Amino acid sequence: MRSTVAYDPRKRSGPKVGFVASVGSGVLGTLKTTGSLMVTLRDALGSLFTPGAAARATVRRIMLMQILFTGFEAVTLVSIMGLLIGATLIIQTRLVMPGTGGEMLGKILVTVVLRELAPLTTAIIVASRSGTAIATELGNMKANSEVAALSAMGIDPPRFIVLPRLIGAAVSVIVLMIYFSAVAILGGYLVSGLIAAPSFSALRAGFGAALVWQDLVSFLAKGTGLGIIVGWLCCHYGLEVKASRTEVPQKASKAVVMTLLGCVIFNTAITGLFYYFVGPPVR
Amino acid sequence: MLAGIMVRGGSLQFGDLTVLSSFDLHVRRGQSLVVTGGNGSGKSTLLQLCAGLLPPTTGRVLLDGYLPDPARPSALFRRGVRRGFVFDNGGLLANQTALANVTLPLSYHADVLGLGAKEIDERARQALAEMQIAQADFHTLPAHLSLGLQKRVSVARALAMQPTFVYFDDPHAGLDASSIDLMEKILVRFHEDQAVTLMIATRDPSRFDHLGLPMLEIASTCLVEPMR
Repeated sequence: MRSTVAYDPRKRSGPKVGFVASVGSGVLGTLKTTGSLMVTLRDALGSLFTPGAAARATVRRIMLMQILFTGFEAVTLVSIMGLLIGATLIIQTRLVMPGTGGEMLGKILVTVVLRELAPLTTAIIVASRSGTAIATELGNMKANSEVAALSAMGIDPPRFIVLPRLIGAAVSVIVLMIYFSAVAILGGYLVSGLIAAPSFSALRAGFGAALVWQDLVSFLAKGTGLGIIVGWLCCHYGLEVKASRTEVPQKASKAVVMTLLGCVIFNTAITGLFYYFVGPPVR
Repeated sequence: MLAGIMVRGGSLQFGDLTVLSSFDLHVRRGQSLVVTGGNGSGKSTLLQLCAGLLPPTTGRVLLDGYLPDPARPSALFRRGVRRGFVFDNGGLLANQTALANVTLPLSYHADVLGLGAKEIDERARQALAEMQIAQADFHTLPAHLSLGLQKRVSVARALAMQPTFVYFDDPHAGLDASSIDLMEKILVRFHEDQAVTLMIATRDPSRFDHLGLPMLEIASTCLVEPMR
């Protein structure tokens, strides 16, 4: 049917693109995005070796501020979520498997909380709380010519902007993961005491039976990797803003979505590797 | 070494949009140049390109013979290329006070400049005082300063760095009469300093007639000599 109005929403705009062309364009777009993401990471990590003791001291101060904001200020939220998640996990387990003993509860707490919930929940909290703040702040800096001003002053944006946020996010995620695990296990222990009264020694025996030394490697790898993903992707998408402030919320939203996706993929990959080398989760 | 700003075959495109067609430009050390043109003609873009803040689509830009690296501008600073860029909106860091904005580049390059904490503070305060910023505004965030004051702080930041290249983007925009007088004095000072290469982008070239500066006009993406 021929359009009779100036604007017709049924009318396709632009030339018709075939299936192969659209797949090709998608692949090229993905490659381009991956390439620019890698450049952001390479420039930031490469700046670790840039000379300048005074610059290093300035960056260290920014990093400490980032840890304060991302790590310390998230403690209350992580406490509440850790306690409730640990408690809910035990309640659900007791409902599904009423006869579960203290040792098995301990194993489940280790397997689910330490290996999966602590890394993912902490990364989600940090991404949604600090990741949005990072992407929005950098987007506004870009739109306000602040990033260009830094370059003009001879201040390296990858070193001054990206690196401290990357390291700050990684350190914060690791510390918050440890804290989350402790609080969630405490929440689980308190609830299991209320509903089943297992002895702490039985729970501890469960922890001991389920924990292996590779858990430490996996825990640290997840903490470091997830923290870097949060800092890296949020900085990258924030700095993708060109000159318009209207791009800022769009890029911030994209930053958080891509960060969450990246975190889930990374966490799954490390979990897969862990069980490939260690064996089944609960023996 | 090619002292000053050298552009060879430089052009700039954003997607399909050509902002600047291929051009050559050489502003020698100690020289000044005024770039003029209508709104949206690409004056600010040309200024950023000549400062090495925007990479050209084709060709290259050299500052004192060195190629700027957008990821590592500190390398240029260590080679003695000091750029002071006064943006039309000031370009101050929003989360730092006026004083912190001026001290930041000095602290970051303290080892290169050989400055201690006390000297950095003194130099920053002196630059702010020179731009007639009241002591009370030293610890104020840019959001609480007027545009005129923000631009003056931005000039103070450039002054404190003792730059060899100075770029002013629309220096008179948004300023009152006294701020314009102050800005003129600073511009004349930079213009007369033989160590400083000065580039100014403006919509109103008549303001610089008394200085007799060379001018270029951007017309339909091309750099041309204006009719005078």
